[in-house]
Formats: sequence, C-alpha cells, structure tokens
Amino acid sequence: MTSGGIRALLALAAAASLATPALAADPIVVGVSLTQSPPGSVVQGTQVKDGMEILKDIVNAKGGVLGRQIKLLYEDNQGIPEKGRAAVEKLISSDKVIALAGGHQSSVCLAEIEVAHRMKVPYVNTNCWSDDVRKRGYPEVFNTSPYNTLVSSSMASTLATMGVKRVVAFAENTDYGIGQAKLTGEILKQKAPQIEYKYETLDRTSKDFTAALLPLRANPPDVIVLSMLPPAAYLVMNQVYEQGLAPTKKTLLYDGGGLADYPDFWQNVKQAGQYLLSFALYHPQMKQTPLATQIAAEYKKRTGNDINRLVLQAADSLELVIQAVQTAKSTEPDKLITAMKTMKFDSIRGISNFSTEPGYSFQQWLDIPYVNYELTAERQPIAQTVLIQAPGQKFDPSKIVRPAK
Amino acid sequence: MLALDLLVNGLIYGCFYALMAVGLAMIFGVLKIVNFAHGEFFMIGAYTYVLISLKLGVSPWLALPAAALAGALLGWLVERLLMRPLYQGYASWGFMKDEYAVVVTFGLSLLLINLVDKTVGPYSFQGPPLVDIGRFPLGPVMLTGQKAIAALVAVALMVALALFIKRSVWGLQIQAVAQNRLGASLAGIDSTRTTSLIFVVSGVLAALSGALLAPLVNPSPDVGTFPAIKSYVIVVLGGMGSIWGAMIAALILGVSEAFFSVYVSYDYRDAFGLIILIAVLLLRPEGLLGEKGRTV
Repeated sequence: MTSGGIRALLALAAAASLATPALAADPIVVGVSLTQSPPGSVVQGTQVKDGMEILKDIVNAKGGVLGRQIKLLYEDNQGIPEKGRAAVEKLISSDKVIALAGGHQSSVCLAEIEVAHRMKVPYVNTNCWSDDVRKRGYPEVFNTSPYNTLVSSSMASTLATMGVKRVVAFAENTDYGIGQAKLTGEILKQKAPQIEYKYETLDRTSKDFTAALLPLRANPPDVIVLSMLPPAAYLVMNQVYEQGLAPTKKTLLYDGGGLADYPDFWQNVKQAGQYLLSFALYHPQMKQTPLATQIAAEYKKRTGNDINRLVLQAADSLELVIQAVQTAKSTEPDKLITAMKTMKFDSIRGISNFSTEPGYSFQQWLDIPYVNYELTAERQPIAQTVLIQAPGQKFDPSKIVRPAK
Repeated sequence: MLALDLLVNGLIYGCFYALMAVGLAMIFGVLKIVNFAHGEFFMIGAYTYVLISLKLGVSPWLALPAAALAGALLGWLVERLLMRPLYQGYASWGFMKDEYAVVVTFGLSLLLINLVDKTVGPYSFQGPPLVDIGRFPLGPVMLTGQKAIAALVAVALMVALALFIKRSVWGLQIQAVAQNRLGASLAGIDSTRTTSLIFVVSGVLAALSGALLAPLVNPSPDVGTFPAIKSYVIVVLGGMGSIWGAMIAALILGVSEAFFSVYVSYDYRDAFGLIILIAVLLLRPEGLLGEKGRTV
C-alpha cells in the first residue's frame, strides 16, 4: 500500500471514530401526522400534540431513551386522507422516522396505515375509533385508541338497561360516526331486539340541522344518541335543545364521543349540555398511574385546562414507542414491531398487552376502562358529574337525573 | 304543522343566506370576478362579534357595529391592496384577470383561516345572543329569541340595502359602474371609489351575517366555508351580479333545502344546492334575474 493510501485509510478511520459517538447522540425521531389546520379537527390535533409534547419533555428531562433524546416530527394532514398518506410517506422516506403515532381521525388513519404497512414501519393508532383500522390485520398497526365495538357495545348495553323503547341516533358522515351508529344498531338487535332503533347521517361540515330534527317533534324518541364530534356535535345539541326535543322528562341525549371532555365544551353548549348522558373514557375517579398524574399536572400548567382522555391517549401512544425502543434496544422498525407484539406494555392508562385475535380486536388493547356519567348542572366540571356507571361497575339507571318537564 | 315549521325555518335561513350572497353578487356585478375569500369576511365578522362581546364584556348590540366595521375595513383593504390591479393601470403586468382574481382571493381565504387558527386558536365559541330570550313557541313553530331577532335584523338590512341601491347617489353610482364601467367614468363617476365602496358594503353585509349567526353556528376558523358555498349557488341561481336575483334565490334555496331534507333525503341536503347549480347552468345559464348579455 502506498503512503497516500495509508493516509486515506487513517483519515477514514479517524472520521469513523468521530462519527460513531455523534450518531449515538442523534435524537430518536418519531413521526406524528395530525390535524393542525382546517378542515380537519384542529381541536383534537392540538390535544394530541399537547399530550405527546408533555411526555417527550418528561422523558428527555430524564435523559431520554438509550441515552438519546426523543424528537417529534410533525406533519399537518388537515384531516384529509390524501394529505395524511403523503405526510406519512414523507416522514418515513425522507425524515427516516422510526415509528408513527398520533393518528386521530379514522378516515385519515385508514389512508396512513396503507403506507406504514407497505413500508413496514410501526404505526401506533392514538384515536381512530373505526374498527376497520384493526380489521385490515396489518402487523405494523398497534391500537392504544378506543374502538367502535367497545363503545357501541357499551352504549347498547346502557340503552337495554335503561329499558327504552325508541332510540334515534345522529351520526356524522365519517368512518367513525357511521361505523359507531351502525354497530350500535346491530348489537341492539341482539341484546334488546324490542328497542326500535334508527340512525340518521348528518354532514359534519353543516351548520343547520333543524330540518333533520323537526320530524322528531311530533313523536320524540326516548333517547337521542350522538355519534358525532365537535364542532358539529355542539350545534346538534344546541338545535335539539332549541326545538325542545331533549333533554326533557321523556327524552335524554346520550353522547358516544366523550364530548364533555373537550376544553371548549361548555363555551359552546351552555344550557343544552345539562342532563347530557355521556359515555366517557376518562373520569377523575378512574385509577391513575403516577405518570398520568404528572402529565395531568403539566397539562394544567401549560394550558390551564383539566386533563382529558385524548391528551392521555396521545401520551400513551408515544409511551408505547418509547418502551418498544427500550425493550428492543434498537430503533430498527422490524425489531420495534416484534417488541410491541411480545412485550408487556406498562402504560399510562394501565394497558397490559395487545390482542392477537383477528377482526376488530387485532393488535388492540381490549379492556379500555370507561364510565358513563351525567352532567347535572350547567358548566359542571367532570369531577362533579353524577357517575351512572363507575369504572368496572354496572350501569345504574336509577341514578339518572331528568329535567322536571 | 311540519310543513309550516320547515317553511319558517327555511325562510329564516334564506334571509341569512341572502345577507351573505348579496355582497358576492355585487362584487361580481362590478368586477366580474368571484371573491373566494367572501366566506372569510363572514368569519371575521363572527369572530369580531364573539371576541368583543365575550372577552371584553361589551354588549352584543355594540359588538354588532364593531363586526360591521371590521368587515368594512377588510373589504376596503382587500380592494385597495389586492383588487385594484384588476382595473387600474397595471396592464404592463401582463396578467390574466380571471386567473389573478382566483389565485389572490383563494390565497387570501387560506391566509385568513390559518391566521385566525394560529392567533385565536382552533376552539369554537358560541356567541352571546342579542336578546336574552330562550326558546319559545310561535304558534306551531319553535323559535329562539336569537333566531327571531337575527332574522328581523337581516330583513331590515336587506330593505336598507335595497333603498341604498335604489335611492342614494352612491347606489346609483354602483348601478352605473356595474352596467358599464367606462361609460360611468365618462359620465363623471369615480369608478375606483365606487368599486371600493362595493367591497366595503360587501364586507359589512358578510360580517354582519357572521355576527348575527355567531350565537347559532359557533364560529371556528373555517366557519366561512359553509355560507360561502351557499352564496356561490345563490349568485348563479339568482343571476350572476343581480342583487335582487340573489335575494330571491337565497329564500328559494333556504326553503327548498328544508323541504328536500325532510321529504327526499337529509344526507343529500347540501348536494341539493349543487344540483340546482348544475341545473341552472344547463337550462338557464343567466339565472333567475340575470341578463343573457349586453353589448354597448
């Protein structure tokens, strides 16, 4: 070897020795595709980002994972499936993220998981409720999110226990809304076939729903179910109230989306929110882990709002990625997927592991805790609501409070 | 009874649509362009009303003129900064008028939505009602104080606008510029100032529409999308550029939408307006009160 060749080899070796510690200190990059601008739900996107940022800061303050800091790389999908697909493509191909998390609108998740599946990168579903996200059976997709079958089963049981005769559901025209309303009807047919149930699809971008409500005035149902998200859900509630349909002594309004959890709930509904019966995934009486308590305190400090289920779900989906990296001792996507499948996940909300059954339960945390509560006064904080069904308990219809007329 | 309910509700929403659509029709009548940021004039009015009344604790009746002022200011700025190149001495730019108008107004729309999203936040607010009267039955029809008063104010504004256009000197100038810009200029009318006035009036009407509806539609940054789409349908149905046509078309659309949703399908309620749009374009492209063409 010539002296020039030796010098080149030495230079390469020196460069390599310098590069190795730098690589080890590089941050671990996790991709987050969420809604940061309309027409999608910016309200949800904001909370997802808040939850993930808080957990990232907590973890980084303790030294990070495997000696490396966590970095979150955000892409705005505007709640549009095509943009979500492009965002995930970019995060994986160009930004080389090790995993994806933060998905919070079913139609967007359904587009995004196609890319994650094709490129074999783990995708943690934060808040896409549509069962179809699981039914595709993609090994890369892990679901810490609630799912429609859980919510619809619970709601159907509630309606059966209440002994109602007629139920009308209003569902937004999305995979989530239509999926939940259809499923509730199917489960009701099995659990309580005597209940007359029908659902109407409403356009979530519309502002006036009166025409859909007016036909109910002649013969109001016993319960009006809402499978809708804000802001459309707030408008429907207000218009149902304005028309005198619900809440009344005869007709209750039952929400299947945990509406009262949203920070802007009371500034949008006022009197229409009183007597709302709500299926919810968070209540202060639920058992909280120390990390959940820490996140709640930090969230209050940063935003002034009380903690809600979506912030915790978001933190939880990032926590899954972090624990997978720790378990696999690697950031290679295939090793992370194996870790997520096999490890015991000690999560913020108490998850143990994921189901391997195909269908709606595929790679889903099945036993998500939930409650049913009623808002008995205007501007009532969640902590003061009447728990009709405490976590792990049976629904007790005798606790329901109804308006005088 | 249901039919009466639908009729009243349809007429009320028709009045709101009219307030919104007339401004769009006026701009088209004069400049022959579609203002794609018109929905954001509505949004600015709604936000001004809500923020002034909720955050500053000002009476909603005072927040209403504040919203009108915000709409006027926005309209004036848009004309002065963005629209003037369309008709005043910028021929050397060599741009194409229609493309310029589409790109600029569409860009402005996105800018305003995202600006409000980032500065005020994504959360929606229910505006305070103008009167503290909750729901009440009016015969077989159930109304709220806000809905009733907002509809009355909307009707009053439409009447005032009709008188302004028909009787005032400025109104006559607007009509003249809409008919023939060059001819109006030769007759001594300041067409630049008149165009500016049209944008101001258009901004005021859309902003007031947003303010009146703020307690009913809970403004969020993209709240203008819904009334803007309705307005485009109304302007075509009424006849491009026809103010009276827009008023009549708004009432027709409000009522027919209400009946269509109950007796045909609620799912296709918003598609119904677009079906009307296609039918009008195919069968009567000049709209209800539009002109087939004019040569001077």
